Amino acid sequence: MFELSTTRNNPLIDPALHAWGWEIPIYLFLGGLVAGMMIISGYFIFSGRQKNPDCACNFLPFFSIFFLTIGMLSLFFDLENKINVWRLYTTFQLTSPMSYGAWILILVYPALVLNIFIRPPQLLINKIPKLKIISDKLYERSYLIKWIGVLNMIWGFLLGAYTGVLLSTMSARPLWNSSLLWMLFIVSGLSSAAAFVHMIARDRYERELLAKADNGFLTTEIFVIALLLIGLLTSSQSGINAAKLLLTGPFASTFWVLVVGIGILIPLPLQLLAVNHKVKHTPIPPLMVIMGGLILRFVIVYAGQYSNWLNIHF
Amino acid sequence: MNAPFFKFGFFGNEVSLILAFVIGIAFGFALERGGFGNARILAAQFYFTDMRVLKVMFTAIVTAMLGVYYLTWIGWLDLSLVYISDTYMLPQALGGFILGVGFVIGGYCPGTSVVSFASGRLDGLIFILGVMFGIFVFGVVFPLINSFYYSTYMGKVTLQEWSDTSYGFMVFLVVVMALAAFVVAEKVEKKMSEKLKVSK
Amino acid sequence: MRTISALFPKKIKVEELTAIEAKPYSNPYLVGFGLGLVLLATFVIMGRGLGASGAMSSIVAVTVDKLSPEYASQNSFFKNYLGDGTTNPLKDWLVFEVLGVFVGGFISALLAGRIKRTVEKGPHISTSLRLVFAFVGGSFMGFGAMLARGCTSGQALTGGALLNLGSWVFMLMVFAGAYAMAYFIRRQWL
Repeated sequence: MFELSTTRNNPLIDPALHAWGWEIPIYLFLGGLVAGMMIISGYFIFSGRQKNPDCACNFLPFFSIFFLTIGMLSLFFDLENKINVWRLYTTFQLTSPMSYGAWILILVYPALVLNIFIRPPQLLINKIPKLKIISDKLYERSYLIKWIGVLNMIWGFLLGAYTGVLLSTMSARPLWNSSLLWMLFIVSGLSSAAAFVHMIARDRYERELLAKADNGFLTTEIFVIALLLIGLLTSSQSGINAAKLLLTGPFASTFWVLVVGIGILIPLPLQLLAVNHKVKHTPIPPLMVIMGGLILRFVIVYAGQYSNWLNIHF
Repeated sequence: MNAPFFKFGFFGNEVSLILAFVIGIAFGFALERGGFGNARILAAQFYFTDMRVLKVMFTAIVTAMLGVYYLTWIGWLDLSLVYISDTYMLPQALGGFILGVGFVIGGYCPGTSVVSFASGRLDGLIFILGVMFGIFVFGVVFPLINSFYYSTYMGKVTLQEWSDTSYGFMVFLVVVMALAAFVVAEKVEKKMSEKLKVSK
Repeated sequence: MRTISALFPKKIKVEELTAIEAKPYSNPYLVGFGLGLVLLATFVIMGRGLGASGAMSSIVAVTVDKLSPEYASQNSFFKNYLGDGTTNPLKDWLVFEVLGVFVGGFISALLAGRIKRTVEKGPHISTSLRLVFAFVGGSFMGFGAMLARGCTSGQALTGGALLNLGSWVFMLMVFAGAYAMAYFIRRQWL
């Protein structure tokens, strides 16, 4: 319900004033998380780890499908005209990231289902015996399994990059208008995914590998964030203002404490100590990483909407 | 040097929140090192078997008090800009008593329960929920006890103003008192541990 | 539930990679000195002291506001914590400080090998009764802290170091209340 009180300055008249609520950041986060999980799972399949029944790649697609569906639902909630959603799939616009996104999402599900076909869990086989036949056929052609792994990695990469590209194309928002945003979202998605898989993995080798990988992703993320901010600070006045929103402005406390502090700088040394067996493994550092990734999307989306060309005067 | 820095506008609100987080880390670190994340150690204070609460608290108070006194004396710190809460004698005394009862029943105080929860203690988490429930109850009955809450108002009053002595003398007195308390605490601890040994 | 567990045939094991022994707690006087320096730094940097219960009341007020905005705006106690609506009430100094306390406590316990999923209690009491006591004690604590305008950190520690009259009365009454009650629930701890 939105009552019209004036003819201007309301989102129904000025579309620029339409505010994105919690749905978009949640979707971006879950999209990035699924993208990271697909890359990890794809990598494991590519390196032949699916033979081990404990391999994370054998159950990750279930989590991916679950999270992606929640993400899609939250995106759907954000739509004003929910009935028109099918129209996205009647066209393909070469220049529209929205169009790419809609199609990438549709292609991600089959890739995940193919991943499940490699080694379906016993329960599913009992329900649908055909799965066993497909799985056996795949085993006879091991190059197909490798291709499924590559496919998952590629779609994961596209999905993760797309969530960033979607925002960067909006030149009206200086904070988003950076060519590094997709990098940030991929790295952040990978670090969240590595933290998540690290938490749930059953295989010890995989768990330690992912903790180490997560440390690598977090380190990269620091550099990407720094480069993104430096890029903004050395650009136009509106870019400088956008960067200052995060550095000293109204989003500084959330950004520094929740994203940089709890999301990166604190879990990084703790995980480093844990993989070197100096301290106990606890789920808290990975949870911190995941929370940091979530808050990062919120900060970027909210601060991005705050930043615009008209705010130059302050 | 002009301290407190925040009051002199060296940084804004947002930065103060970042500093709050950093200060909180140091605070939580110190509390955990002292064993305050463990309800049994905290409760032991009230059975005279381990006087850590008294020792840590009084050492902290004396350290900070001497620091504030010294920094004010050399003129770096403007004490008038450091926030001191108003004294409402009766509600504070009663509140302290209720809090003390809760302390020995629950085993924590709000700050230490957070540390306890952070180090995996389930009772710490339950205690935090209890505190929130208590606050909620207080909020609900607040309109009824409003007049008591604001009764016996005495304004901002320090011990030296109230007893009509000087700041320096009061600092000296507190230091002496704390030292005496430490001596007594050590003796009591020793006696109690011997007693426990005998009874076992 | 069975369906989910069947999807993941093996139970997730959290094996200890290496046995890390818990270190003993530090010297209380040394800890007190460190705590005093933290408090002093807070005075110098912020011109205010430490606290804990204030953060929890902010969270309670926000929860009440989320559940029933109408009631929260009528109640003068909750309204006080919610502010004028221009800023998020959780963007509060004490909330961020307590977040830090959690992280700092976790880091310290982790480095000392003291992270342990357990319930602290004496040997003669059941875990569930101990949890009931924790909740009841917490409720007393929350109520008392609100009445006294601060808890052990906000009043006793901060006000004590500033020689605030009300804080010293408060501190003595805390010890009085605790010692008065200690005898009656000794079975919980001893």
